Amino acid sequence: MVHETLPVMGTEWFRPFTEQSIALLNEEGEWIGDFPLDLEEALLRQLYRDMLAVRLMDERFTVLLRTGKISFTAPIAGHEAAQVGVAHALRRGHDWLFPYYRDYGLALALGVPPVEIFGQMLATKADLAKGRQMPCHPNSRVLNIFAAASTVASHIPPATGAALSMKLRRTGQVAVCTFGDGATSEGDWYAAINFAAVQQVPAVFVCENNHYAISVPLSCQTATRTIAEKAHAFAIPGYHVDGMDVLATLYVVREAIERARAGHGPSLVELVVYRYGPHSSADDDTRYRPREEVELWRRRDPLARYQRFLARRGLWSEEWEQQLRDEIAQELAQAIEAAEHAGEVPAEWMFDDVYAEPLWHLERQRALLRAELQ
Amino acid sequence: MATLTMVQAIARTLAEEMERDERVVVLGEDVGRRGGVFLATEGLLDRFGPERVIDTPLSEAAIIGAAVGMAAHGLRPVAEIQFADYIFPGFDQLATQAAKLRYRSGGQFTAPMVVRMPSGGGVRGGHHHSQSPEAHFAHTAGLKVVVVSTPYDAKGLLKAAIRDDDPVLFLEPKRLYRATREEVPDDDYLVPIGKAAVRRQGTDLTLIGYGTSMPEVLKAGDELAKAGVSAEILDLRSLVPWDIEAVTRSVAKTGRVVLVADAPRLSSVLGEIAATIAEELFDQMLAPPVRVAGFDTPYPYAQDKLYLPTVTRILNAAKHVLEY
Ligand SMILES: Cc1ncc(C[n+]2csc(CCOP(=O)(O)OP(=O)(O)O)c2C)c(N)n1
Ligand SMILES: [Mg+2]
Repeated sequence: MVHETLPVMGTEWFRPFTEQSIALLNEEGEWIGDFPLDLEEALLRQLYRDMLAVRLMDERFTVLLRTGKISFTAPIAGHEAAQVGVAHALRRGHDWLFPYYRDYGLALALGVPPVEIFGQMLATKADLAKGRQMPCHPNSRVLNIFAAASTVASHIPPATGAALSMKLRRTGQVAVCTFGDGATSEGDWYAAINFAAVQQVPAVFVCENNHYAISVPLSCQTATRTIAEKAHAFAIPGYHVDGMDVLATLYVVREAIERARAGHGPSLVELVVYRYGPHSSADDDTRYRPREEVELWRRRDPLARYQRFLARRGLWSEEWEQQLRDEIAQELAQAIEAAEHAGEVPAEWMFDDVYAEPLWHLERQRALLRAELQ
Repeated sequence: MATLTMVQAIARTLAEEMERDERVVVLGEDVGRRGGVFLATEGLLDRFGPERVIDTPLSEAAIIGAAVGMAAHGLRPVAEIQFADYIFPGFDQLATQAAKLRYRSGGQFTAPMVVRMPSGGGVRGGHHHSQSPEAHFAHTAGLKVVVVSTPYDAKGLLKAAIRDDDPVLFLEPKRLYRATREEVPDDDYLVPIGKAAVRRQGTDLTLIGYGTSMPEVLKAGDELAKAGVSAEILDLRSLVPWDIEAVTRSVAKTGRVVLVADAPRLSSVLGEIAATIAEELFDQMLAPPVRVAGFDTPYPYAQDKLYLPTVTRILNAAKHVLEY
């Protein structure tokens, strides 16, 4: 646990650039923070419910894949605490999220209706993005979730731009941008955070460091010991956090967000996690990850640790667990059914939304396709 | 009414648009105190302050990517890329983010932004200060592309681009920045995106050009007139969308067409237009469409003037279609 009540910049609590990752719970689920836990019981339980919902949703994705209903999935398991912690750190529907393809847990915890998520996974009319992208690309205008793009790190400069607009228009919002460890090697990553730091915009850059970019280990990605220390290059704080500790994630990210909101500029938060599944449904991780390593991290399961924490406080029971599982399973089943029921995306939708107004060459192509399909 | 060069018209237009709409902000390298290396943003910093006239770090990815986020969040950014040749470090942001944001979000998010850039050769800039990369943009669905050739159009089209709800690539032939002066009205007029201009009426053949090559196209028209040939001249102005009505109307009338631009010939916008003409007007054509384009080499330095379509080359092409 690394935590200081330093009154730096008004809100500063956590120390950046620590050797060890910042944690507030130990593996036994004991609170090791040296400040009083000040979250309400309802929220403490909600965090668990959200993490469980993410885990179960992720499992549904795999089932849909196996039954041939979806073409792809990017497993989330292992990232639940990180994603749920971030979701609860930002102000929903007010702050903006610039997510990447592994963030459906974050989207769910932020309140995206499961039917929209499954609609996107299945590319049916239930997808607000009209079936335009492969699975695992969150989007929601209502919740200020910028439509994810597959191109690694390409969403980071737009996050800086949105934050610049927030600063200029004094909206009191913050742009939170998430990405993997591999993304930190892209030029866009550097360009975006550098610009954000120069302009002191209200942005928080959050790395879900799961130690691999597909098969490439972190040691081939960067020569630095942590991702957090890269923040030195921009003269902004970098926090090295145990991302399998939902409370550490929530506290640190929330502090970074409120610090940004107060006008003290951006920060970089590294959430150390591990993905239990393969990179994606197209990957075979046994080719590059020793099983012992996976097992080691499985013993650090973020849900199990947090369950122990709740149990210690009398906030968890077998019955409650079962009740939650039943509720969530039912919600997911209903969402899948509704998403499928919404029906297939019509062929002609292909030509919409390329431009605000239809252009003549696209209208001609639309007519050609229509004739072909008749 | 003021008599202005193209670059002066651009600077004035930016000021007018920033005055009209406080969501309009300008960002790029050296656009602040320096007023842009070509002075296209001269005076803006003093008038509108550093929050709306942003000197960015030297990163085209940051400039274009940030413009996408600003636009998605509600601003109307006008990004300057110092030379069109330097679009490539920012090209990913254009192709991946700006062009596809509306589409990939099903219309939930949009990127109404303008990316201005000096383009084209003829200024002894070598291959990294002379390129005309419009075909790259035209090949990327979701972007609109315009290339201006007169001060009047620069004002009207820049206003239309800033008010457009999609990302617009605004190419400014740097060779024409100060080549001529023209009366530019003070009022708030628009030149619509997608409309070509008829620069000369004619009946014997159609010359279609745009941007950097327009002065040569116009000179070729004069030469042809002296020889008793009536050439109709179209300045495309917009490449995406391009004005198919104006093109087919003219070529249906003349039956002969020469297409001229300085961009490399292979996979050029001219090729697309020539192919469309062939598809649509084949039975009315008296000769096949002929292109006079840049060579398919990287833009050279020593042969700067030879690379650009010359009046002689245009006249030879005209002769070819007239005698076909
Ligand atoms: C620019 C780009 N290059 C390559 C890819 C292919 N690709 C998809 S995900 C990925 C690894 C990304 O790893 P990381 O950023 O650590 O995120 P993680 O998947 O581990 O969460 C790669 C190489 C891509 N999508 N975009
Ligand atoms: Mg990774």
